[in-house]
Amino acid sequence: MTFGLLLRQIVRDLRGQGARLVFFLVCLGTGVGAVVAVAGFSRGLENGIRDRARQLLAADAAISSLRKLTPTLENTVAGLPKDVEVARTFELVTMITAGSSTAAAGEAMLVELKALEGRYPFYGTITLAPERPLTELLTKDTAVVAPEVLSRLGLRVGEDLAIGGERFRIAATIAAEPDRIGGTFTLGPRIFVTKEGLDRTSLESFGSRVVRKTLFKLPPAGTREDLERLVATLKAASNGVLEYRIETYAESQANLRDGIARVDKYLGLVALLSLLVGGVGIAQTVRAWLAGRLDSLAVLACLGFRPREVLALFLSETLLLALAGSLAGAAFGTAVLGVLPLFLGDLVPAGWVSAWQPAGVLRGVLLGLALAAVFSLPTLLAAGRVPPARVLRRDTEPLPLSRLSISVVLTLLFAGVFGTALVQARSALLALQFTLALLAVALLLAGVAALLLNGLARIPRERLSYRLRHPLAALAHPGSGTLGSIVALGIGVLVVLTLALVERSLSSQLRSDLPKDAPTLFLIDVQPDQWAGAEKELRAAGATRIDSVPVVMARLKALDGQPVEKLAEGAKENKQWTLTREQRLTYVDKLADDNEIVAGQALGAHGATAKTLFVKPDVAELSLERDFAKDLGAKVGSVLTFDVQGVPLDLTVTSIRAVNWKTFGINFFFVVEPGVLEDAPQTRLAAARVPPEREDALRSALARSFPNVTLVPVREVLEKIAALLGRLGGAVRFLGGFTVLAGVVILAGAVGATSSRRGREVALLKTIGLSRASVSGIFAAEYALVGLVAAGIAIVSAVTLSHAIAVEVFDLPPAGTAGPVLVAALSTVFVAVAAGLLASLGALRRRPIEALRSE
Amino acid sequence: MTTARPVLDLRGVTRTLPSGDSPLTILHAVDLVIQPGEFVAILGPSGSGKSTLLGIMAGLDRPSAGEVYLDGEPLHSLSEDALALVRRRKLGFVFQSFQLLPNLTAKENVLLPIELSGVRDPGARATALLAAVGLGARGHHYPVQLSGGEQQRVALARAFASEPPLLLADEPTGNLDSTNGTAVMTLLEELRARHGTTFVLVTHDPALAARAERQIHLRDGRVERDELRASRPGLRSA
Ligand SMILES: Nc1ncnc2c1ncn2[C@@H]1O[C@H](COP(=O)(O)OP(=O)(O)OP(=O)(O)O)[C@@H](O)[C@H]1O
Ligand SMILES: [Mg+2]
Repeated sequence: MTFGLLLRQIVRDLRGQGARLVFFLVCLGTGVGAVVAVAGFSRGLENGIRDRARQLLAADAAISSLRKLTPTLENTVAGLPKDVEVARTFELVTMITAGSSTAAAGEAMLVELKALEGRYPFYGTITLAPERPLTELLTKDTAVVAPEVLSRLGLRVGEDLAIGGERFRIAATIAAEPDRIGGTFTLGPRIFVTKEGLDRTSLESFGSRVVRKTLFKLPPAGTREDLERLVATLKAASNGVLEYRIETYAESQANLRDGIARVDKYLGLVALLSLLVGGVGIAQTVRAWLAGRLDSLAVLACLGFRPREVLALFLSETLLLALAGSLAGAAFGTAVLGVLPLFLGDLVPAGWVSAWQPAGVLRGVLLGLALAAVFSLPTLLAAGRVPPARVLRRDTEPLPLSRLSISVVLTLLFAGVFGTALVQARSALLALQFTLALLAVALLLAGVAALLLNGLARIPRERLSYRLRHPLAALAHPGSGTLGSIVALGIGVLVVLTLALVERSLSSQLRSDLPKDAPTLFLIDVQPDQWAGAEKELRAAGATRIDSVPVVMARLKALDGQPVEKLAEGAKENKQWTLTREQRLTYVDKLADDNEIVAGQALGAHGATAKTLFVKPDVAELSLERDFAKDLGAKVGSVLTFDVQGVPLDLTVTSIRAVNWKTFGINFFFVVEPGVLEDAPQTRLAAARVPPEREDALRSALARSFPNVTLVPVREVLEKIAALLGRLGGAVRFLGGFTVLAGVVILAGAVGATSSRRGREVALLKTIGLSRASVSGIFAAEYALVGLVAAGIAIVSAVTLSHAIAVEVFDLPPAGTAGPVLVAALSTVFVAVAAGLLASLGALRRRPIEALRSE
Repeated sequence: MTTARPVLDLRGVTRTLPSGDSPLTILHAVDLVIQPGEFVAILGPSGSGKSTLLGIMAGLDRPSAGEVYLDGEPLHSLSEDALALVRRRKLGFVFQSFQLLPNLTAKENVLLPIELSGVRDPGARATALLAAVGLGARGHHYPVQLSGGEQQRVALARAFASEPPLLLADEPTGNLDSTNGTAVMTLLEELRARHGTTFVLVTHDPALAARAERQIHLRDGRVERDELRASRPGLRSA
């Protein structure tokens, strides 16, 4: 067979296959669209970050730390060539109050303050309203604030506010900030002051947590090598102390990038799921297509087509269609990328992700082609085996696949799913888990669906009205393609419902009423001599369950003589941070009851007293939290060396505690024996329950008397996290929706595939005198049954699965499921009926004679 | 009698089918030789094995035992691929149920075997053949748009399209009324005479069989009778 003939034959063959072609294209296109959207989104975001990396750091390179630079570093910075510009920023969370002469005098709120020194930002600009340069508006007596500050405190530009008890005039509001990414979690709106302004307050000296950044800008002619040389110099000067994080713009935003990579992985798998569900549709379409063409296949054989030519013909047709479907899907996915920002809100800054993502399109199209081949090959192989003698005897069925080729097909399918999962997840383990889980779910769905269908088939139908008898019979009819539809639709519903339920239990946990005795607010950075006064204010506001502990900031230096830098070497960034960040130590006479000793001294005690916990007279003792101990690799008997603001301190671990963090009580990783830290510089941390209606008054009172004290409202913070989660969840469910869409298409496809049978059925029903409406009613009942069975299985599995995830992974109590389950059941049935009727529309409309003639 | 190589040479062809405990034998060691240019009718009651025998002659089915030579090619030992090539070059078919490809127009149905055999200008030949069966104006129609008789005439045009030396027909008039049946049969004989094709016709209709020079009667999978009737046409002795 020549190539020309092959091409001509393909074209002739595909002609007049309209509806079936459309189904094939939609089945594949849906999944490819999801893959393209996810891949394009994460790629676009990555590119967005890369393109704006300098802006996001606002510099070429930076040193970030909680502590002031060491003298060596400071000298090095001072000794840098003149053309390297240096600026500094100081970030802290603090309270501000409306100025005394304003309408809202004394009202307080939490903000994220950033004090600037030097020509910040080096890249990007801070846009202000009124539109004037920052340098002109910002002096040591002024502040520029996010608009939210004004609306919250009822202030106007030109009025005063107090930061740390000092007056600042509001010079402008911030319209845009270069290095702040929307949608990241913040405790409060942004305020800029100058470093001199910050120095007027004493906030820095009150032991507040200040993030210090020293920013560097190379001269315009600076090269990549210059930058590397600068970083090398700085790194050498930092003496390898990890707490001074030195990074260039190119490597900054590591957390953000990690986050995107993770999102790409998991959302990529969700997208792949819709492609795989679509694969079921492809297999069905190809099967139905070939089933209707067995006679033609036999004729082709009689005319002298060789089996492999027949295979080549159908494979080329399938791949051609797959290519068309994938391209259509890519277009669809690109369109989705265009509207995605609507679902993400301000999670992603506008204009960062352009809809056209060639890499994502390529990935989607390749995965689409691969899966189309994998899902259609089994059927196509069978096509090559159609015995030509079929032209003489109609009942000559295609040979059943031999056991060998069945195992080849299964292997191929498994490899296909695993391979595509690997592309999406970039982790063999995750891909394998995904493949096995999907296999298990599909088998379960198919098994249960088969059992149910079998049960339905056994219902004695004679007594039923024809309105029910017919749908039941249609479902039970072997080869009706119902099983595939149920599995596909079921997987779709299962995915979306599971996502929704898990998200629901996460956010309901966040929003749920906190434990009865949980604190409603925390006070941080209370100076020891302020505590008596602050406690009085708390009591005056009707606070109950007031609790306070001393906090000593210290840095972990070594574990059993091993420097912490050594331990952190090669560890994940997250763990490095856990080990090297500033640690909070406390000392108490009695542990809270939610502390259980799980190793060492006073084993098994809940809320042990210092007397029973610390019994060794010769060493300074430490009780360590279990998870931190695990991260660190510390055991009972380990010696932790701390640097308590310049003073070295050895602490011996004599017990390990499990802490129930969910009580929201005050708890620490490190509880030190009393009598060790009393003279170290320290602040107090307090927690209390305050009636919500008195919180504002308390905030104002505290801000007036103790301007350095920060009040963190627990409920508000949890609300913010829940809202962020809700938006993320919305995006995930949006993607999960593609699997449902794929399932629906498959149902419609299965219905459409049997359209000639449908047509004859309609013709016969009409001939015996049923109206078109009654025929539609009968069909609707059939599809409702399909939807009901699919929804039933999916709901039971989703509820089980989401409970397992909530309890096992997130350690949450399962949330109520009635609402989502009802919605899932109703919408599945509705969608099934709508899709089924739509697909039978042609059959319903045709005149009976046409259906009978094409027989 | 003649030195020409036989078109078909069946030696001890047996066909059994697995059925329950003991295999069912449909053909019992059939021996048969068909010479070039012959017009042979295979007769027999329903279920006597006529279609099975025809399938084996065409290499559509394999004998369980015995040998089949088509123009010297050992069909019983050829691969599926080789069988396909033999059919492509040497065989034309006409079936009771027409068996046109429904996705292809009448002309495309006729074109396909011509294109497959690599002849130049297949279009002209297809047009000529369609005209010869009286359907010159219906080439662009799809099979569903044609009547049964018209479909069978397209099938005839297709059968002769690649100028095969052997034509096999299984009840070609079985689905047609008598007028249409006679018309198709007459056309078939005309075409066969013009192309000099060897022709094996399976039928249980004695009237149709009477048109053949040789009649082979099958009963229960055995050749019951093999009789020559009319005088040989010129081709045979050439
Ligand atoms: N694939 C098969 N499976 C079972 N039985 C078969 C098969 N093929 C043929 N037979 C049986 O073999 C016998 C011969 O069948 P065949 O089709 O050759 O008969 P026939 O002479 O063509 O009959 P008819 O005139 O009715 O077409 C019949 O009894 C038939 O039932
Ligand atoms: Mg027969």
